[in-house]
Amino acid sequence: MTAIEPVRHSPHVMVHFCSPDRRYEPLQPIRIQYQIELSAGSTVQAIERSILWYTEGKGEEDLGVHAFERITDGATIAAAAGAGAFESHLPPSPLSYEGLIVKVRWCVRVRLFFEGGRDFVSEHVFDLGTVPAALSRAVP
Amino acid sequence: MSATTGPRHITNPFATRHTRPGVLWPLTSSAERRDVPALIAAVDKAGGSAGIEGPHGTGKSTLLVTIAAELAAVDRLAAIIQVRCRRDGLSAVRAVLRAAAGTTVCIDGWEQLGRVVGSATRFLARLRGCQLVVTSHRSVGLPLTVKTTSSLPLFTAIVAALPHHGGLIHPADLAEAFTRHGGNLRESLCDLYDRFEQRARQPFRF
Repeated sequence: MTAIEPVRHSPHVMVHFCSPDRRYEPLQPIRIQYQIELSAGSTVQAIERSILWYTEGKGEEDLGVHAFERITDGATIAAAAGAGAFESHLPPSPLSYEGLIVKVRWCVRVRLFFEGGRDFVSEHVFDLGTVPAALSRAVP
Repeated sequence: MSATTGPRHITNPFATRHTRPGVLWPLTSSAERRDVPALIAAVDKAGGSAGIEGPHGTGKSTLLVTIAAELAAVDRLAAIIQVRCRRDGLSAVRAVLRAAAGTTVCIDGWEQLGRVVGSATRFLARLRGCQLVVTSHRSVGLPLTVKTTSSLPLFTAIVAALPHHGGLIHPADLAEAFTRHGGNLRESLCDLYDRFEQRARQPFRF
Protein backbone atom coordinates (compact mmCIF):
# COMPACT_ATOMS: atom_id res chain seq x y z
CA MET A 1 0.00 0.00 0.00
CA THR A 2 1.31 3.43 -0.82
CA ALA A 3 0.42 6.95 0.23
CA ILE A 4 0.73 8.95 -2.95
CA GLU A 5 -1.37 12.07 -2.96
CA PRO A 6 -1.68 14.63 -5.68
CA VAL A 7 -1.54 18.36 -4.91
CA ARG A 8 -4.31 20.42 -6.46
CA HIS A 9 -2.34 23.30 -7.89
CA SER A 10 -0.02 23.21 -10.84
CA PRO A 11 2.79 22.11 -10.77
CA HIS A 12 1.92 18.80 -9.17
CA VAL A 13 4.04 17.30 -6.44
CA MET A 14 3.29 13.73 -5.42
CA VAL A 15 4.90 12.33 -2.30
CA HIS A 16 5.31 8.73 -1.24
CA PHE A 17 6.09 8.04 2.42
CA CYS A 18 7.86 4.83 3.38
CA SER A 19 5.21 4.32 6.09
CA PRO A 20 1.90 3.74 4.28
CA ASP A 21 -0.23 5.39 6.98
CA ARG A 22 2.25 8.26 7.38
CA ARG A 23 2.75 7.51 11.07
CA TYR A 24 6.25 7.37 12.49
CA GLU A 25 7.73 6.77 15.88
CA PRO A 26 10.40 9.06 17.37
CA LEU A 27 13.93 8.27 16.15
CA GLN A 28 12.55 6.14 13.34
CA PRO A 29 14.05 6.58 9.86
CA ILE A 30 11.87 8.27 7.26
CA ARG A 31 12.31 7.95 3.52
CA ILE A 32 10.39 10.08 1.07
CA GLN A 33 10.09 9.69 -2.65
CA TYR A 34 8.53 12.46 -4.69
CA GLN A 35 7.49 13.13 -8.24
CA ILE A 36 7.12 16.59 -9.73
CA GLU A 37 5.00 17.38 -12.75
CA LEU A 38 5.92 20.81 -14.03
CA SER A 39 3.68 22.93 -16.19
CA ALA A 40 4.89 23.45 -19.74
CA GLY A 41 7.59 26.06 -20.20
CA SER A 42 8.47 26.44 -16.51
CA THR A 43 12.13 26.27 -15.58
CA VAL A 44 13.15 25.30 -12.07
CA GLN A 45 16.12 27.21 -10.69
CA ALA A 46 16.27 25.60 -7.27
CA ILE A 47 14.56 22.92 -5.24
CA GLU A 48 14.30 22.84 -1.47
CA ARG A 49 13.40 19.58 0.26
CA SER A 50 12.78 19.69 3.96
CA ILE A 51 11.28 17.85 6.90
CA LEU A 52 9.90 20.24 9.48
CA TRP A 53 7.34 20.78 12.18
CA TYR A 54 5.12 23.80 12.69
CA THR A 55 2.39 24.89 15.03
CA GLU A 56 -1.05 25.73 13.76
CA GLY A 57 -3.55 27.64 15.84
CA LYS A 58 -5.06 31.02 16.43
CA GLY A 59 -2.03 32.60 18.06
CA GLU A 60 1.66 33.03 17.29
CA GLU A 61 3.18 30.37 15.12
CA ASP A 62 6.36 28.39 15.66
CA LEU A 63 8.41 26.26 13.30
CA GLY A 64 11.45 24.02 13.43
CA VAL A 65 13.36 22.59 10.48
CA HIS A 66 14.65 19.07 11.11
CA ALA A 67 16.22 18.37 7.73
CA PHE A 68 16.86 20.70 4.85
CA GLU A 69 18.46 20.39 1.46
CA ARG A 70 18.65 23.01 -1.29
CA ILE A 71 19.57 21.96 -4.78
CA THR A 72 20.85 24.67 -7.06
CA ASP A 73 23.27 22.76 -9.26
CA GLY A 74 21.86 22.64 -12.79
CA ALA A 75 22.59 18.99 -13.49
CA THR A 76 21.23 17.86 -10.11
CA ILE A 77 18.11 20.00 -10.54
CA ALA A 78 17.43 18.44 -13.92
CA ALA A 79 17.39 15.04 -12.25
CA ALA A 80 15.63 16.10 -9.04
CA ALA A 81 12.95 18.18 -10.77
CA GLY A 82 11.39 15.04 -12.20
CA ALA A 83 11.62 12.69 -9.26
CA GLY A 84 13.78 12.29 -6.22
CA ALA A 85 14.12 10.80 -2.79
CA PHE A 86 15.55 11.85 0.51
CA GLU A 87 15.74 10.38 3.97
CA SER A 88 16.45 11.23 7.56
CA HIS A 89 16.11 9.94 11.11
CA LEU A 90 13.25 11.62 12.96
CA PRO A 91 13.98 13.31 16.29
CA PRO A 92 12.45 12.33 19.67
CA SER A 93 10.19 15.40 19.75
CA PRO A 94 8.04 17.44 19.33
CA LEU A 95 5.32 14.88 18.82
CA SER A 96 2.41 15.53 16.50
CA TYR A 97 -0.58 16.84 18.40
CA GLU A 98 -4.08 17.79 17.30
CA GLY A 99 -5.04 20.26 20.00
CA LEU A 100 -7.94 22.67 20.13
CA ILE A 101 -5.92 25.84 20.57
CA VAL A 102 -2.74 24.67 18.96
CA LYS A 103 -1.65 21.76 16.80
CA VAL A 104 1.85 20.47 16.22
CA ARG A 105 2.27 19.17 12.72
CA TRP A 106 5.14 17.48 10.95
CA CYS A 107 5.41 17.72 7.22
CA VAL A 108 7.58 17.10 4.22
CA ARG A 109 7.92 20.28 2.21
CA VAL A 110 9.04 20.46 -1.38
CA ARG A 111 9.61 24.01 -2.58
CA LEU A 112 10.30 24.88 -6.19
CA PHE A 113 11.84 28.16 -7.28
CA PHE A 114 11.18 29.29 -10.82
CA GLU A 115 12.66 31.94 -13.06
CA GLY A 116 11.38 35.39 -12.21
CA GLY A 117 11.25 34.81 -8.46
CA ARG A 118 8.04 32.76 -8.45
CA ASP A 119 7.95 29.80 -6.11
CA PHE A 120 5.66 26.91 -5.29
CA VAL A 121 5.41 25.12 -1.97
CA SER A 122 3.92 21.69 -1.46
CA GLU A 123 3.46 20.35 2.08
CA HIS A 124 2.61 16.78 3.03
CA VAL A 125 1.66 16.16 6.63
CA PHE A 126 2.64 13.06 8.59
CA ASP A 127 2.46 12.04 12.25
CA LEU A 128 5.35 11.70 14.66
CA GLY A 129 4.27 9.69 17.72
CA THR A 130 0.77 8.74 18.76
CA VAL A 131 -0.48 11.45 21.08
CA PRO A 132 -4.30 11.28 21.11
CA ALA A 133 -6.11 14.26 19.61
CA ALA A 134 -7.85 16.64 22.01
CA LEU A 135 -11.59 16.33 22.30
CA SER A 136 -13.96 19.25 22.15
CA ARG A 137 -15.58 20.17 25.46
CA ALA A 138 -18.75 21.61 23.97
CA VAL A 139 -20.74 20.75 20.89
CA PRO A 140 -22.87 23.75 19.92
CA MET B 1 0.84 26.93 -1.14
CA SER B 2 -0.96 23.68 -0.62
CA ALA B 3 -1.10 21.24 2.24
CA THR B 4 -1.91 17.57 2.16
CA THR B 5 -4.19 16.42 4.93
CA GLY B 6 -5.09 13.03 6.28
CA PRO B 7 -7.99 11.82 8.39
CA ARG B 8 -6.52 13.19 11.63
CA HIS B 9 -5.26 16.37 10.02
CA ILE B 10 -8.12 18.79 9.98
CA THR B 11 -6.92 22.08 8.60
CA ASN B 12 -8.65 24.89 10.41
CA PRO B 13 -9.11 27.59 7.75
CA PHE B 14 -9.18 30.26 10.47
CA ALA B 15 -5.73 29.39 11.87
CA THR B 16 -3.11 32.13 11.88
CA ARG B 17 -1.20 30.57 9.01
CA HIS B 18 -4.15 31.28 6.72
CA THR B 19 -5.18 34.66 8.13
CA ARG B 20 -1.97 36.45 9.13
CA PRO B 21 -1.02 39.69 7.38
CA GLY B 22 0.61 38.99 4.06
CA VAL B 23 -1.35 35.84 3.27
CA LEU B 24 -4.57 37.54 2.19
CA TRP B 25 -4.72 40.47 -0.19
CA PRO B 26 -6.16 43.56 1.56
CA LEU B 27 -9.75 44.48 0.78
CA THR B 28 -11.72 47.66 1.28
CA SER B 29 -14.70 47.83 3.64
CA SER B 30 -16.90 47.26 0.59
CA ALA B 31 -14.98 43.99 0.03
CA GLU B 32 -13.16 45.18 -3.10
CA ARG B 33 -9.48 44.45 -3.71
CA ARG B 34 -7.32 47.36 -2.67
CA ASP B 35 -5.24 48.72 -5.53
CA VAL B 36 -1.95 48.66 -3.63
CA PRO B 37 0.27 49.82 -6.55
CA ALA B 38 -2.05 52.83 -6.98
CA LEU B 39 -1.88 53.43 -3.25
CA ILE B 40 1.93 53.42 -3.35
CA ALA B 41 1.80 55.87 -6.26
CA ALA B 42 -0.46 58.13 -4.17
CA VAL B 43 1.95 57.87 -1.22
CA ASP B 44 4.84 58.87 -3.52
CA LYS B 45 2.84 61.81 -4.84
CA ALA B 46 2.11 62.94 -1.31
CA GLY B 47 5.78 62.98 -0.39
CA GLY B 48 6.41 59.33 0.34
CA SER B 49 5.00 58.95 3.84
CA ALA B 50 1.61 57.74 4.96
CA GLY B 51 -0.32 56.69 8.00
CA ILE B 52 -2.71 53.75 7.88
CA GLU B 53 -5.29 54.51 10.53
CA GLY B 54 -8.19 52.52 11.90
CA PRO B 55 -9.58 50.66 14.90
CA HIS B 56 -8.24 47.30 16.10
CA GLY B 57 -8.70 44.43 13.66
CA THR B 58 -9.65 46.40 10.57
CA GLY B 59 -6.78 45.29 8.33
CA LYS B 60 -4.07 47.88 9.00
CA SER B 61 -1.26 45.34 9.36
CA THR B 62 -2.49 43.35 6.38
CA LEU B 63 -2.36 46.47 4.23
CA LEU B 64 1.05 47.48 5.60
CA VAL B 65 2.59 44.06 4.96
CA THR B 66 1.24 44.06 1.40
CA ILE B 67 2.62 47.55 0.78
CA ALA B 68 5.97 46.41 2.20
CA ALA B 69 6.01 43.38 -0.11
CA GLU B 70 5.27 45.57 -3.13
CA LEU B 71 8.04 47.98 -2.13
CA ALA B 72 10.44 45.09 -1.54
CA ALA B 73 9.74 43.80 -5.04
CA VAL B 74 11.16 47.03 -6.47
CA ASP B 75 14.00 47.33 -3.90
CA ARG B 76 12.41 50.26 -2.11
CA LEU B 77 11.78 48.65 1.28
CA ALA B 78 14.34 49.50 3.95
CA ALA B 79 12.68 47.52 6.75
CA ILE B 80 9.36 46.50 8.26
CA ILE B 81 9.23 46.83 12.03
CA GLN B 82 6.54 45.58 14.39
CA VAL B 83 6.36 47.75 17.50
CA ARG B 84 4.70 45.99 20.41
CA CYS B 85 6.13 48.01 23.27
CA ARG B 86 8.21 51.12 23.88
CA ARG B 87 11.39 49.05 23.87
CA ASP B 88 10.79 48.15 20.22
CA GLY B 89 11.15 51.86 19.47
CA LEU B 90 14.89 51.32 19.33
CA SER B 91 14.43 48.95 16.38
CA ALA B 92 12.37 51.57 14.56
CA VAL B 93 14.99 54.27 15.13
CA ARG B 94 17.77 51.90 14.09
CA ALA B 95 15.87 50.98 10.90
CA VAL B 96 15.49 54.64 9.97
CA LEU B 97 19.17 55.32 10.67
CA ARG B 98 20.16 52.44 8.39
CA ALA B 99 17.67 53.27 5.62
CA ALA B 100 19.03 54.56 2.34
CA ALA B 101 17.57 57.74 0.86
CA GLY B 102 14.50 57.02 -1.23
CA THR B 103 13.61 53.82 0.59
CA THR B 104 10.70 53.27 2.95
CA VAL B 105 10.56 52.08 6.53
CA CYS B 106 7.24 50.42 7.41
CA ILE B 107 6.29 50.55 11.08
CA ASP B 108 3.37 48.55 12.48
CA GLY B 109 2.05 49.98 15.73
CA TRP B 110 3.28 53.57 15.54
CA GLU B 111 1.48 54.76 18.68
CA GLN B 112 3.51 52.29 20.74
CA LEU B 113 6.60 54.42 20.06
CA GLY B 114 5.31 57.24 22.22
CA ARG B 115 5.44 60.93 21.39
CA VAL B 116 9.18 61.51 21.89
CA VAL B 117 10.47 58.47 20.00
CA GLY B 118 7.81 59.00 17.32
CA SER B 119 8.90 62.59 16.75
CA ALA B 120 12.56 61.55 16.73
CA THR B 121 11.83 58.81 14.19
CA ARG B 122 10.04 61.26 11.90
CA PHE B 123 12.87 63.79 12.23
CA LEU B 124 15.50 61.16 11.44
CA ALA B 125 13.49 59.93 8.45
CA ARG B 126 13.41 63.47 7.03
CA LEU B 127 17.12 63.81 7.70
CA ARG B 128 17.92 60.50 5.97
CA GLY B 129 15.60 61.22 3.05
CA CYS B 130 13.61 58.06 3.63
CA GLN B 131 9.86 57.62 3.88
CA LEU B 132 7.63 56.17 6.55
CA VAL B 133 4.48 54.12 6.15
CA VAL B 134 3.00 53.38 9.55
CA THR B 135 -0.11 51.93 11.16
CA SER B 136 -1.86 53.59 14.05
CA HIS B 137 -5.18 53.67 15.83
CA ARG B 138 -5.19 57.45 15.76
CA SER B 139 -4.05 60.24 13.48
CA VAL B 140 -0.27 60.47 13.10
CA GLY B 141 -0.20 63.58 10.91
CA LEU B 142 1.74 62.12 7.99
CA PRO B 143 1.09 63.62 4.52
CA LEU B 144 -1.30 60.87 3.43
CA THR B 145 -3.86 59.05 5.53
CA VAL B 146 -5.40 55.73 4.58
CA LYS B 147 -8.39 54.79 6.72
CA THR B 148 -9.35 51.20 7.38
CA THR B 149 -12.77 50.13 8.58
CA SER B 150 -14.43 46.75 8.82
CA SER B 151 -17.83 45.62 7.63
CA LEU B 152 -19.75 42.36 7.47
CA PRO B 153 -19.36 42.17 3.65
CA LEU B 154 -15.59 42.55 4.15
CA PHE B 155 -15.56 39.82 6.80
CA THR B 156 -17.63 37.57 4.53
CA ALA B 157 -15.21 38.16 1.64
CA ILE B 158 -12.23 37.32 3.86
CA VAL B 159 -13.82 34.06 4.98
CA ALA B 160 -14.60 33.22 1.35
CA ALA B 161 -10.93 33.70 0.47
CA LEU B 162 -9.75 31.22 3.13
CA PRO B 163 -9.45 27.46 2.62
CA HIS B 164 -12.90 25.91 2.58
CA HIS B 165 -14.45 25.10 5.96
CA GLY B 166 -16.38 22.11 4.67
CA GLY B 167 -19.76 23.54 5.57
CA LEU B 168 -18.96 23.68 9.29
CA ILE B 169 -19.40 27.44 9.41
CA HIS B 170 -22.75 28.96 8.50
CA PRO B 171 -23.57 32.51 7.31
CA ALA B 172 -25.23 33.17 10.68
CA ASP B 173 -21.92 32.36 12.41
CA LEU B 174 -20.21 35.14 10.48
CA ALA B 175 -22.79 37.73 11.45
CA GLU B 176 -22.80 36.55 15.07
CA ALA B 177 -19.00 36.56 15.39
CA PHE B 178 -18.68 39.93 13.69
CA THR B 179 -21.30 41.51 15.95
CA ARG B 180 -19.98 39.87 19.12
CA HIS B 181 -16.49 41.29 18.54
CA GLY B 182 -17.62 44.75 17.53
CA GLY B 183 -16.33 44.48 13.98
CA ASN B 184 -12.83 43.40 14.99
CA LEU B 185 -11.92 41.10 12.11
CA ARG B 186 -9.03 39.39 13.93
CA GLU B 187 -11.18 38.53 16.95
CA SER B 188 -14.04 37.47 14.69
CA LEU B 189 -11.73 35.05 12.84
CA CYS B 190 -10.56 33.63 16.19
CA ASP B 191 -14.22 33.12 17.09
CA LEU B 192 -14.75 31.15 13.88
CA TYR B 193 -11.57 29.17 14.64
CA ASP B 194 -13.15 27.98 17.90
CA ARG B 195 -16.47 27.14 16.28
CA PHE B 196 -14.70 25.16 13.57
CA GLU B 197 -12.65 23.20 16.12
CA GLN B 198 -15.69 22.33 18.18
CA ARG B 199 -17.75 21.17 15.23
CA ALA B 200 -14.94 19.36 13.40
CA ARG B 201 -14.36 17.17 16.46
CA GLN B 202 -17.88 15.91 16.88
CA PRO B 203 -17.70 12.10 17.14
CA PHE B 204 -19.61 11.40 13.94
CA ARG B 205 -17.07 13.42 12.00
CA PHE B 206 -14.12 11.42 13.28
